[in-house]
Amino acid sequence: MNATPADTSQARELLAQVLNISVDELEPDAAIDRTERWDSLAHLNLILALETHLGRPLDTTTMLEIESLTDIANLLAR
Amino acid sequence: MTAWQPGLPSKMNTERYFLRSLGASDATETYISWWDDEEVQLGLGNPPRGWGRAEAEGHIAKFDNRTRFHLGIFPNQTSVPIGFIAIFLGQAGCAKTNIVIGNKEYWGEGVVLEVRGRVLKFLFDGLQMHKVFGEVDGRNFASIYNYKAQGFTCEGVLREKLLAPDGTRHDQLSFGLLREEWRESQVVNEPATKPS
Repeated sequence: MNATPADTSQARELLAQVLNISVDELEPDAAIDRTERWDSLAHLNLILALETHLGRPLDTTTMLEIESLTDIANLLAR
Repeated sequence: MTAWQPGLPSKMNTERYFLRSLGASDATETYISWWDDEEVQLGLGNPPRGWGRAEAEGHIAKFDNRTRFHLGIFPNQTSVPIGFIAIFLGQAGCAKTNIVIGNKEYWGEGVVLEVRGRVLKFLFDGLQMHKVFGEVDGRNFASIYNYKAQGFTCEGVLREKLLAPDGTRHDQLSFGLLREEWRESQVVNEPATKPS
């Protein structure tokens, strides 16, 4: 499912927060393998932030899919 | 691993760290404390052990430097380990690794990627192992990141296999990396420099 612009904005805010950068600094193609600040601790904080935002734990399959800003936006759009 | 001889203590170096076989004298209070730390043990998918010195020494003694290695991780120019990596050489050219960073000041410093990168080279290039795999608690998101960042594939989810200290059930994930996959990644990419 593709994310709506609103979902992308929300995903950008959430990811920028855990990466400790401004939304403007976040590249649109931010991903686990190309974003310098997206390290193991950031990933841990990201998953926890997503769970807090959604109000439920992520199941393992969903958690494993989170590798990019697009993945986050898609999850929030579900 | 430089000039490894089966049965003898081993040592290898990375840019920032060196690894060496642990012995009975390494069963220090710091080492023992890692086995009783809930957060640290999450990395192994185990509850806190409540070990004393005898249990720690007994654990270290199980590693023979032939098919089982227990290597302390030391920052260069220091003599105090910040964690360890265990390596188990199994049948059919498959090896299992576990990494524990006990000193939490080093979490997020890229230790796992740097150290495991060196161990992968030893296992694939040195010992010609076919596959390296590891198991991780499905709630250990930092460790899962490290496996993915290093090219491992999640090959299986053992549902609710682990019982966490708080009584909840966690999935256990199995990650694997084949020698050819590792070699291809070495051609395409420089060694991982991103922090882990």
